[in-house]
Amino acid sequence: MRIACPFCGERELGEFTYLGDAAPKRPSAFADDGSEQPDAQDAFHDYVYLRDNIAGEMTESWYHGGGCRSWLTITRSTTTHEIKAVKAAPGAGARVAAGLAS
Amino acid sequence: MADYLWSTQSPLQKALVPGRQGVRSGEAGIALTEMTGVAVVQIMARRGRWAQTAKAARAHFGVGAPDRPMAAFGKAATLVWSGPDQFLAVAAVDGSAGPIAAMSDAFAGNASLSDQSGGRCRIRITGARARDALAKISSLDLHDTVFPVGAAAATSIDHTGVNLWRSADVAGNAVYNVLVFASFADSLWHTLVDAAAEYGVDVDRMALPRG
Repeated sequence: MRIACPFCGERELGEFTYLGDAAPKRPSAFADDGSEQPDAQDAFHDYVYLRDNIAGEMTESWYHGGGCRSWLTITRSTTTHEIKAVKAAPGAGARVAAGLAS
Repeated sequence: MADYLWSTQSPLQKALVPGRQGVRSGEAGIALTEMTGVAVVQIMARRGRWAQTAKAARAHFGVGAPDRPMAAFGKAATLVWSGPDQFLAVAAVDGSAGPIAAMSDAFAGNASLSDQSGGRCRIRITGARARDALAKISSLDLHDTVFPVGAAAATSIDHTGVNLWRSADVAGNAVYNVLVFASFADSLWHTLVDAAAEYGVDVDRMALPRG
């Protein structure tokens, strides 16, 4: 399998490390008014431990540690290994990620 | 600042044996050289500051900062792309003040600088069969049309992360440069010598000439 890094071009699988599902978003422990979210414990349990076992297309986080050391977001089919899209993860390099002040 | 400087030594002190290695008949197809006296500074743009960093690099080094896998050859330093919005400035060691002193003003506020001089080892591979030897241990396409002079890559050779770039041909032969972490240099060196052995290798050590 080869992965087309958006920064380096096509590289062998051995240069990359697989993290897992890129979909889970870190929940907030606090509401906008600063009070504690009543369901925070459940939300964090889901975020840390629970994963869908998808047969088909999923978005995944990969790390190009053997190359440019960038985090990538890859859309891959878990049944065929076909890679549909490779994007730089938010905040790669010096770019300003959405929601982050410069 | 404390009157203390790291004293560096070659990580290939034992591994590098000058002279002819591998096949001994005929002309050596590979020249393998450790370049010594190399100063390396990592330059990483701060968040949202790539444009300013690139501008500072052009003013300071006289060449554009590499914004994709390539090497830019300035008079006093070679700038080698090492990742998005970051690159290495590779130059000959000059004076005892350290390589950052001369450039910290130029990049102040826009980029973070980090002296990697003692942490990396630079190996030069050239000769008529240099590409054949490298092709055995690298997964990159090194053909002239894909990896010409000025091409660079952050890649892995023999499971070891390296910065690889091609500088100007010498005597009609491609010149490949490998920058590897010092602690992995010994291992990578043996891999290189093994890959080159069948073509005959001339092994040498050379101080990087001052720009």
